[in-house]
Amino acid sequence: MHPDLLDQLTDRVRAFIEGAAPFREAPYDDAAFNALALELFAAQFAAAPAYRALATHLGASPETVRDWRDLPAVPTAAFKELVFTTLPVAARCREFRTSGTTTGLPGRVFHSAATLELYAASGRAWFGPHLLPEGARAGGACLRLFSLTPYPDAAPHSSLACMAGMVADRFRAEPVRFWSRVREDGAWVLDAAGLTAALQAAAGEGRPVCLLGTAYSLVHLLEHLAAAGLRLRLPTGSRLMETGGYKGRSRELSRPALHQALSDRLGLPDTHLVGEYGMCELASQAYDRICGQARPRIYRFPPWARARVLSPETGREVGEGEAGLLAVTDLANVHAVLAVLTEDLAVRRDDGFELLGRTARAEARGCSLLAA
Amino acid sequence: MDLPRYFLADLAHPAALTPAMITDACLTLKANRRRYLADRATADLIDALASVAEDWLAPANPYRRLALEEGPRALGFSAPTLAAGLDDFFSALTGENLRALVAQDLADLQRLDQLTPNPAGPRADRLALAHGPELLVHVTAGRLPNPALMSLVLGVLTRSAQFMKCASGTSLLPRLFAHSLREVEAKLAACVEIAEWPGGTEPLEDALWAQADCVLAMGGDATLAALRRRLPSGVRFLGYGHRLSFGYVAQEMLANHTLPRVAAAAARDVAAWNQLGCLSPHAFYVEAGGRNPPERFAEVLAAELDRLEATHPRGPLPLADAAAIATRRSFYAVRAAHSPDTRLWCSAGSTAWTVVFEYFPRLHPTCAHRFIHVKAVAGLDEALAGVDAFRGQVSTVGLAATGTREQALALELARWGVSRICPLGRMQCPPPAWRHDGRPALGDLVRWTDWELAARG
Repeated sequence: MHPDLLDQLTDRVRAFIEGAAPFREAPYDDAAFNALALELFAAQFAAAPAYRALATHLGASPETVRDWRDLPAVPTAAFKELVFTTLPVAARCREFRTSGTTTGLPGRVFHSAATLELYAASGRAWFGPHLLPEGARAGGACLRLFSLTPYPDAAPHSSLACMAGMVADRFRAEPVRFWSRVREDGAWVLDAAGLTAALQAAAGEGRPVCLLGTAYSLVHLLEHLAAAGLRLRLPTGSRLMETGGYKGRSRELSRPALHQALSDRLGLPDTHLVGEYGMCELASQAYDRICGQARPRIYRFPPWARARVLSPETGREVGEGEAGLLAVTDLANVHAVLAVLTEDLAVRRDDGFELLGRTARAEARGCSLLAA
Repeated sequence: MDLPRYFLADLAHPAALTPAMITDACLTLKANRRRYLADRATADLIDALASVAEDWLAPANPYRRLALEEGPRALGFSAPTLAAGLDDFFSALTGENLRALVAQDLADLQRLDQLTPNPAGPRADRLALAHGPELLVHVTAGRLPNPALMSLVLGVLTRSAQFMKCASGTSLLPRLFAHSLREVEAKLAACVEIAEWPGGTEPLEDALWAQADCVLAMGGDATLAALRRRLPSGVRFLGYGHRLSFGYVAQEMLANHTLPRVAAAAARDVAAWNQLGCLSPHAFYVEAGGRNPPERFAEVLAAELDRLEATHPRGPLPLADAAAIATRRSFYAVRAAHSPDTRLWCSAGSTAWTVVFEYFPRLHPTCAHRFIHVKAVAGLDEALAGVDAFRGQVSTVGLAATGTREQALALELARWGVSRICPLGRMQCPPPAWRHDGRPALGDLVRWTDWELAARG
């Protein structure tokens, strides 16, 4: 992509993000989304040879595609074999990697300084209204952030640690501690004892906290609390962002069981447990509730990213309440490809989706020895 | 037709099973065996089994009809696919083939009936009698019925009381087979029990192990290891772990007049039991250098799978299985977009069948359900290097070759460790005398009594 065009599109997507209402009150502006998506596709078709080859193979080009739903989607497994990027080598300052799971090679996604800023803007713009709907000052006192990830600098290839850092930069009231370290083999090790002590201190002060962590980090914390026979009562207004995935790194709990255990050991009500869905191939994230609300859990992406649930048989979008593979078209993916086909199974619900149990995901991947 | 409630698996609520019921069932089986089975002659038992098999081949047979009516919903195979699989199985279950099995594994048709001399010995100075286990317990896995049905046949031949514990949702065909045996000879069926419960239900299983003399189990390596640890000492254990299979096509079979026949045979192997068995191919290795390129074989195979879909449809899939196929297809489409060395053929508008062609010999187990790899290779060495990670786990190689080439390839495959080589198109149809995973299936079930005669003269 011509650098100017990249910068210009980055600016326009940022403007789209800033202009989007935080919550849907009227139908999304599909025409504006479509127009920007098609322009982005044309730019990515020109600048990303791997994407151009796939699109051409599938008979799609900027001349033929008129609807964003017809854009060729890149399967996440393909990021393990090929580089899908619009960025020239010199501009690539950050590389996110998938955790690799059992397939050996990780998927790779590159960012430049400018696209990282867009990544931050997209992440913060949807994190805020879901985790901190009252604003950063909740319950009359400054909320303290505790990230169960490592420091972003210690895990430079983790999009989650990067996002936690960006959120912390924007919403923190004081320096944020990151409570995992990265072992030599790349695994994250939670300082459960240190975190527990810090949470006890916060509880003593009566200041609400906001925890961010993966499901397996939370299980490690819960196991520590159970072994120590501790039940914390975090101050009213405390909340937690949980992002799925165990990857064999801890005992696996179903989501209801995890939520039950979090309520039991940390004193967090279900209304304050917010599920996040994200991946390094996407610059935007979905959340399954607004902190403090008790509505049924449905994951929703922001207006600049659209999720569709596709029938694996026909490739077409399924009807309301039906299940299929989740595909996401994310305008904030200026740096890579905007249309991504995930390996996650989801049920189409209203204007969002419900993730099917992680086992479904594990099965799909278990059969997958791709790129090994 | 409603089946009478005769076996535990006929009960409407398997959750109602208790350990005491399992113990009672085992004791009844053993008593029935003593009364009805222990003294039967092998020739009679073979006649009864062959008669049951013949019944199943008749279109009007009520058990067959019930299998084809209820099988698609219970097991996921379409009725024509299920019928083809049952026909292959029961047409091989003849008196002649069963006598060949006994003769092969035990060296004499009357080995289980009386003390008989070793036919191979120079003099009849030693006689021997083979005994089956008193109570043979089967633990089955998967929806493919053949291994379970064949195990029941072996247990009848060894005059064992038999308790078959089926994996959840898979007891239909063993149950129907047992009912059909009951129709032919109620006394034989009185020595068989079929039950179904989720694996790992320890109170029921512990009651079962306590009564067993021999446990014959199929499943994954971890399942088998866990099961084995829980058996009381003194109970024999025969475990059949997961295996995989592939096909090999020699270049001389790619002539214009042979290629369609070979590709059609390969398609039958993929379609049989929807590729779900250990004997089903995960890939066909096709030699380059023939009259047609390996890619052409893949293309004709795709056309054959499409044709079979019309006559023997695969049937609907659970979401996760269909998603695995869709995910793999989309991945190979990316590869195909980047290299002419990868090509993809797919059923239109469904996941019914998929052919992936690659110049990449390493074997990736597929997600089955008629998803097959075709891999071009220079020769057998390259193919065997590609499957080396699965050495020791390969069951069957379907081989298409002729003449001395066929013999040389078969010998090389045998020495490498393949336990069964058969013509392409017959991968899912082993004869009853098949040595399961390289072991004599009947021979492994028995114990022997040797009688050494005093020297004469």
